[in-house]
Amino acid sequence: MAEPIIDNLEIDDGRDPSVQEFIDNTLAALIHELSRSPAEANISITLKRRASPVACIINPTTGALEASPRIDTYRKYSWPGKTAHEAWKFTVILRILAILDQAIRTGQLISKRDIYYIDPEFFRMQCIVDRIVDDLAYTIGVNRTSLNVEAAAKGLVTGEFRLIRGSHILIDAQSATEDSLIPRIEDGDEIDISRVRWVLVIEKEAVFHRLARISYHTRALAGEGIMVTGKGYPDFMTRTFLRAMSDSACNQSRRPPRFYALTDGDPHGMAIMSTYKYGSAAHLHQNARLSIPRLQWLGLRVSDIIAVPEVLGDTALLSLTMRDRKKITAMLRNSPVWASDGPEPEWRAELQRMLVLNLKAEIEILYGCQGGLEGWINRRMFRQE
Amino acid sequence: MNKKSGDKGGTGLRAPTSLFLRKQSLDTALKELGIISMSKQYLSRGSADNAHIVDIFSLAITDKQILSTSGASSIKVHSTTDADFPLVQSIDGAHTIGCHHIVTNGNGSRAITAGFDGEIKAWSCQDGHWTADRKLTADLTGADAWAIAISEDGQYLAGVTQEGRINVWDLSADGTRIRDHETKGNFGTCIDLSPDGRLIASGHEDGAVYIFSTETGRMPFSLLGLVNPVRAVAFSPRSKILAAAGDSKVIALYDTSSGEQIANLSGHSAWILSLSWSDTGEYLLSSSFDGKVKVWSMETKACVATHSETDKAVWSAKWLPKVGKTEGFATAGANRSIAFYREATG
Repeated sequence: MAEPIIDNLEIDDGRDPSVQEFIDNTLAALIHELSRSPAEANISITLKRRASPVACIINPTTGALEASPRIDTYRKYSWPGKTAHEAWKFTVILRILAILDQAIRTGQLISKRDIYYIDPEFFRMQCIVDRIVDDLAYTIGVNRTSLNVEAAAKGLVTGEFRLIRGSHILIDAQSATEDSLIPRIEDGDEIDISRVRWVLVIEKEAVFHRLARISYHTRALAGEGIMVTGKGYPDFMTRTFLRAMSDSACNQSRRPPRFYALTDGDPHGMAIMSTYKYGSAAHLHQNARLSIPRLQWLGLRVSDIIAVPEVLGDTALLSLTMRDRKKITAMLRNSPVWASDGPEPEWRAELQRMLVLNLKAEIEILYGCQGGLEGWINRRMFRQE
Repeated sequence: MNKKSGDKGGTGLRAPTSLFLRKQSLDTALKELGIISMSKQYLSRGSADNAHIVDIFSLAITDKQILSTSGASSIKVHSTTDADFPLVQSIDGAHTIGCHHIVTNGNGSRAITAGFDGEIKAWSCQDGHWTADRKLTADLTGADAWAIAISEDGQYLAGVTQEGRINVWDLSADGTRIRDHETKGNFGTCIDLSPDGRLIASGHEDGAVYIFSTETGRMPFSLLGLVNPVRAVAFSPRSKILAAAGDSKVIALYDTSSGEQIANLSGHSAWILSLSWSDTGEYLLSSSFDGKVKVWSMETKACVATHSETDKAVWSAKWLPKVGKTEGFATAGANRSIAFYREATG
């Protein structure tokens, strides 16, 4: 059995100074060091860094991909540092801290993209801002929204749900409405999805639109539903929204709606499904509050396609590229989701079948099958009921 | 020399063969008259249920054991001499992320495995117990192969890579690579070495089938391949026929002395995943993606038995050593169990 898991987040939350306190303390310490003679001064900022993907586990209580304990590493950024690069990195951190400080003081929400565009020349690359913001959040032990950093909305939703904040209904989405951007969920928000029978999480935007156009969420054999897409790898807002719906389903004692994932039958599709269900390896500290353990795999399996080749023709299948094969091997080797004693033997088997057959399949293939994509989803949901 | 291959073509069988032929022509006549049925019956003789926790991808047979590898990390060894096919050994952690090919030599003293991690490992057997052959495994470090085949005597290992390159290693010379054949660079899905040691055949994703002479390293002739991916190639016990099959759902039979296609066996309605010849070469066993297993008579070129215990892919089907006069086979695949069949007698 796995050794007991200490949830870093919760411990940190308990004795954690507020974000403001962290910023104030950091700045105060820097000013103190600056006032000392250059020879004695230790002008530096230390950040706690996230675990590498190799050292993660599935937490049996939360069902999420998390860092295994005692593997935090610390990185110290000094000024002027040993190299020009280190000096620059130090100033980047300081600058981002100042921006966050202002955002928090003024109560403004800011996105990583906003931060980058304040001075793109200075920050050089978006991913540098992303990394520092994530490391800061991890160091303080809070999630990104506590830093007043929000991701730009990316995901889409259609179907009937109500978002309740405080005592009033903030959003009352009707099933007839067009797809809309996923709303931002705040602590304490509640989502009412008692009218629907299922929630379908779709990898691809194009597939989502195709189903939304024909109002599949009102016409499915399985009853009314909600469809969501994160357009590829999902962002935090999409995952937060889905998690809120999943929590709401937990509280529904009688016949809670089912949660399904529909992704391509390729390594990326499988990795995206894993991100929804267990979380992402890049943000281990967030996964416990974003994972959706109830998510079921609707498809697409490579065997689904091989089973109906008469309709589809053999051209519907694609060979794996060398990159695909490398990605699959890396997934099998590095992620506990696909481990031989892991939680998803079927997922593991599917990746291995892809390797053996050297095949992958895209959801769009199902457009041509009997009854189209809708017919296929109807049959598949019925089978998994 | 191992004695198994000696038995097959040896003079000892001469007299019975002619008797056999006479009986066969009688059988054929009776069949044509509709007096006896063309079909053969194989009865289920038990199974090793859930032998692995995920798909079993490969089986290898020795005189007393059946070795299986899967998407799990262990190699399982079951006894085929006991009536209930008990598990006699589990080599745990053999390939961390699973193993897609296992092959054994004729007398069952050596096994080679190819794992999803890209590693090739060697195993040796003494008194029915398998241990890792660390020396040979180390010798084979860096050896690149997807599908593998081993010679009857266990001296040569042949492999085909994902880039379609064919390699041969001499296992009694520290795993030195002695051959390196280029093909058109298409994914090599399967490979076999002829029992007489003279030929290597490989099957590829683009439908190509290549034959190389081990002596000259050349292709004696080019084969008219299949249209769709080839997933299995197998030489008959006397190396006279090469069978190839895959997504085209037919089994193509080639004469290995001329390269000409002798016959097409059709009847499968799904992709064919594995092929195995019976000891005498009279029967060919095939398994497919829809869970069907078929036995084909080489005399009539017709299917004489079909089994469909499962609707899931049967990744591997292999004949078992004869018990007395009766033949039997084992199948395994996506249903995670190994099923055993024996010919109905009397």
